[in-house]
Amino acid sequence: MTISSAVWTIAGTLFALGLAMLVLRRGLLAMFLGVELMLAAANLAVVRQAGLRADAQAQAAVALILAVAAAEAVVGLSLILRAFRAGRGLDAGAMSELRG
Amino acid sequence: MSPLTTLWVLPLAGAGACLLAGRLGRGAARLCALAAAASFLAAALLALLPCLAAGGAAVFAEGGRTWAFGISYRLAADGLSLSLIALTAFLTLVCVAASWTLDVSAGYWACFLALASAATGVFLARDLFLFYVFWEATLVPMFFLIGLWGSENRRRAAVKFFLFTFAGSLLMLLALLALVTARHAASGEWTWDLESLKGTPLGPAAPWVFLGLLLGFGVKIPIVPLHSWLADAHTEAPAAGSVMLAGVMLKMGLYGLLRVSFPLMPGLTAAWAPTLAALAAVNAIYGALCAMAQADLKRLIAYSSIAHMGFCLFGAASGTSQGLAGSALQMINHGLTTGALFLLVGFLYQRAHRRGLSDFGELAVRAPWLSFFFGFATLASIGLPGLNGFVGEFLCLAGIARSAPPVFAAAGVLGVTLSAAYALPAYQAVFWAPAGPGSASAFVADLDAREKAILWLLCGLMLWIGLAPAGWVAFLEPSLRGLVR
Amino acid sequence: MSHVAVPLEAWLLFAAPVAALLIGFFLMRPLAPEKTHWPILLSCAVVTAASLSLAGQVLAGRSFDVNVWRWAAVEGWGVDFGLRVDGPGAAVLAMVAVVGSLIHLYAAGYMKGDPGFSRFFLVFHLFFLAMIGLLTANNYVQLYLFWELVGLASYLLVGHWFHKASARRAALQAFLVNRVGDFGFLLALLLLLARYKVARFHLLYLLVAAGRHEMLPVIAGLLIWAACAKSAQWPLYFWLPDAMEGPTPTSALMHAATMVTAGVFLLVRSWPLIAAVPGLPVVVAWIGAFTALAAALIAGTRKDLKRILAYSTVSHLGLMMLALGLGRVGAAIFHLVVHGFFKAALFLCAGNVAHALRQPTASVDEVGGWGRAMPLTYASFVVAALSLAGVWPLAGFFSKDAIVDAAWERGGLLAAAALLVCAGSAFYIFRMLLLTFHGARPEQKGLAAHPHEAGPGLAAPPLFLALGAAAAGALGPTGSRLVFSGLRGLPVGRLGGDLVLNLPGDPALPAFSWTTALLSAAFAAAGAAAAYRLTMADPGWDWRWRGGRAEAVLASDFGWTTLMARLAAAVAALAGFVGRVLDRAWWDGLLESGAAAARGAGGLAARAADGRLNDYLWWMTAGAAVLLAGALR
Repeated sequence: MTISSAVWTIAGTLFALGLAMLVLRRGLLAMFLGVELMLAAANLAVVRQAGLRADAQAQAAVALILAVAAAEAVVGLSLILRAFRAGRGLDAGAMSELRG
Repeated sequence: MSPLTTLWVLPLAGAGACLLAGRLGRGAARLCALAAAASFLAAALLALLPCLAAGGAAVFAEGGRTWAFGISYRLAADGLSLSLIALTAFLTLVCVAASWTLDVSAGYWACFLALASAATGVFLARDLFLFYVFWEATLVPMFFLIGLWGSENRRRAAVKFFLFTFAGSLLMLLALLALVTARHAASGEWTWDLESLKGTPLGPAAPWVFLGLLLGFGVKIPIVPLHSWLADAHTEAPAAGSVMLAGVMLKMGLYGLLRVSFPLMPGLTAAWAPTLAALAAVNAIYGALCAMAQADLKRLIAYSSIAHMGFCLFGAASGTSQGLAGSALQMINHGLTTGALFLLVGFLYQRAHRRGLSDFGELAVRAPWLSFFFGFATLASIGLPGLNGFVGEFLCLAGIARSAPPVFAAAGVLGVTLSAAYALPAYQAVFWAPAGPGSASAFVADLDAREKAILWLLCGLMLWIGLAPAGWVAFLEPSLRGLVR
Repeated sequence: MSHVAVPLEAWLLFAAPVAALLIGFFLMRPLAPEKTHWPILLSCAVVTAASLSLAGQVLAGRSFDVNVWRWAAVEGWGVDFGLRVDGPGAAVLAMVAVVGSLIHLYAAGYMKGDPGFSRFFLVFHLFFLAMIGLLTANNYVQLYLFWELVGLASYLLVGHWFHKASARRAALQAFLVNRVGDFGFLLALLLLLARYKVARFHLLYLLVAAGRHEMLPVIAGLLIWAACAKSAQWPLYFWLPDAMEGPTPTSALMHAATMVTAGVFLLVRSWPLIAAVPGLPVVVAWIGAFTALAAALIAGTRKDLKRILAYSTVSHLGLMMLALGLGRVGAAIFHLVVHGFFKAALFLCAGNVAHALRQPTASVDEVGGWGRAMPLTYASFVVAALSLAGVWPLAGFFSKDAIVDAAWERGGLLAAAALLVCAGSAFYIFRMLLLTFHGARPEQKGLAAHPHEAGPGLAAPPLFLALGAAAAGALGPTGSRLVFSGLRGLPVGRLGGDLVLNLPGDPALPAFSWTTALLSAAFAAAGAAAAYRLTMADPGWDWRWRGGRAEAVLASDFGWTTLMARLAAAVAALAGFVGRVLDRAWWDGLLESGAAAARGAGGLAARAADGRLNDYLWWMTAGAAVLLAGALR
């Protein structure tokens, strides 16, 4: 197995796991973890490509994805915290209506 | 401001003024409405004078600014348009006068004036997009009139009215778009001008365009089977609202046929004439049969409206000069006669808060003037010669007898025969029969001076048109000469 | 334009009633309703003078047919209104004016104290005006206008006492049955205008004479249908007996002398059109003969005085139709005029009888032996009855003889029918006379009511009318000259000119023939003898034969009225079905179910947007997978 195919396999598996967590889990934090996992998996694939091509732009893309993930984590977690503090709990299935 | 534009802006400005005057109180809004309606009527009659002097054949045009896609601002008025505008203005004034004692907010008066403005725009517009805009604009004030100031089921009736007529108008818009696109494809220019669109080659799409327009106008006329909105809308609308609905809005449908459909596609008009005549026959007979089965006075008059518009459609479909003139005259007649009937039922309802046939009795003794005017208007409605209804029906049927097989004329005459069968038993039940135990007749006082004045005016016009229609017919006929086959 | 000036009398014919109506409605009714009849009686006098003067002018040869006013016109087509005063019109107009005026006088006394006195007189005079308009119309549109107006007046007068359910029903029935007949009139009118382009009588006569016969059978047939409704012939006669619910002056004027004769008059005016269709006049004759015979039979069995007279009217109208159908226009008009006099007299006498009982009408059960107590009424009744039965030398003899003669010439069943009608007429009128005014029978309550004459206002008019019924015979030759002066000896005009025109038809009254005179006298005598036998010699017979199947059949006019009632109910049921089931439940329900279906579909679609995050994520994933698969292909 070549490195590329290994990387693709790991990245794909990680992405699939992340997607499964996002879609199948009801806890908000677990869904969030799934999103982060998907981002990491995509990042892995980009890293491999960057390594293959020795492309500065690809490496910059990696950094961008990391930054985006971080920003998204901040916003998402603060929203989850807000919702929890307002007494809505952490169950996505229970939150079907916007209230107040 | 140019005269024709003034005609439709004036009532709209009046509506705005009413809303503003409403801040000062309901009385102020009422007075403002009266002033606006009176000045609108004066303007309409003034606009009528030069046309009268020219014998009804003159056409006054203005406007001409063109915007994107060939949409332009073009207005024109001939004998037919000005007569209908005068009818609108007259009925608006009558409605304001008839609603004088009601305790309503300023919006009520504004709705009437806005409706009058939009209807005037419909009768004046010669650019099809402008026509469509004004057409749709009439729906909004009527919706509010029914929905806010109507009877128990007003919300439902208002929504039903809006959805029904809106659906029809959308079909009309589709047809118009097809027409304009075909014109663009044929000549490369975008135009919505009525005159320029005449003779557009449509190819195989032509019957569909005609059908779309017919459905759009047919919902308003109304042509059976597109009539289901009318009975509910009339029943739930306030009395003056019914007058405007029957007197003005129903005319828009037939006007659309005469002004838009027929001149744009004369060949198809001739081909569809038998179908139109058959639909008219159905209207006349079906409307009469349904009216016979009603127990609510307003519903009965609503179905009689359907029958009367069937006669108008006979005249329009006939393509003869007497039929077309009769159709135009019957439009005016119907506005006056059915307007008077709805007003009278409104006066009854104001006093007794009921309008069922079995809710009254012996009113000929308690309220003789109400009984007299109601009888007068009923006789006009059933086509008694000497009153206006007969002239219109006679001319329309004379037209269809000339251009179609006799069976159509026979169906029309059957409609006339049946009209007595629904109107006279109803009159007897309300005015002649003894009052039953639960009757509301005790609450019905006779008409006061204001109400009598309004009805004398309406009945006087009915008698004038009935005895001396020559002048009226001569005024209306030249505008329709172009449609004679 | 026209070089024939319209004489002043013709304008007065209209101006006087219109003025009287306006004064009556706007001045008298609000201020002094019990004096409403003053301007109206004045107007009657003016109209009578004017119509007699016009009759004199026509006799002297000055008939006219002039357009006076454009009613409606479009390019190349127009309807004008005008005045036509010729022989038939002037003769009937004179009768209507004289009889009408006398009945107006009678009504002033009869209706005194009625709460609707003012309304009655105004509508009564409106009817009078409409009848004048009908008789002087010079085209079909104008005639239709006044025809319908006459129908309206009939409705309002029959329903005068509208608190009574029977009166309301009778008024509605009268109007609707006449409307059914007007279907024929209006359709015929429309077809005439469509095919012949004109509605004016003399132009149509010229066109038909020149050979234009398109749609003529249909048009003429429709006109006959309309006449059958207005003149109460089978099958549309049944409104007339019930119309006796109206006050007696109404019955006398409208439903005996004038309005019902409008149908016959229409056929007189349309005669050139009808005669041009082969076989159609015979149909008219048969309708007339059948109706005359059946009605005479039914009249002999009725107990209500006014209803006996109503069926008698139907029968005599049938005789007029028979005369027309045999081509004798003159005989028909002559009988129309004479019938107006004696029938009105009979009705007014019946009104006096009822008035003495203080009831709207009287039955033979309630009278009996009143000849001595009401001598004037009795005298009028006898003279009028003899005229009706056709006893020489009264007018009725001459008019009936003319018709019998025409039928005899034709021979066959029509002749037999005419003679049997003579017998029947004599039977029912003598039965009525003997039961009412002679020898009270134990079944009757007559003398207990202590009747007496009501006063000159009610006793005089029938006397004058009876005189007219008698004397019109003396005027026979003059009368026939009047009727036919419009018919012959005058120049034929150019098309479009306002000139007088000949009315084709047999111009002369049939010459006097001993055979028919003796035959009809014999049959009448037989009828009278039968009446005497069954009322005086066997007094209780009239009550004994009742109560069985025969009476039920006769009471429903051989089942015809029940059939018509069922037909009306069927139409009402159809209307109920269409209005309530077809329109409201089915069609409206269908459309509203469309709205319900849209709401349901919307509800279904809304389930996809229920706000649950996980569902959205599934959809997103699925969608993304589909797009990806499509992109990668």
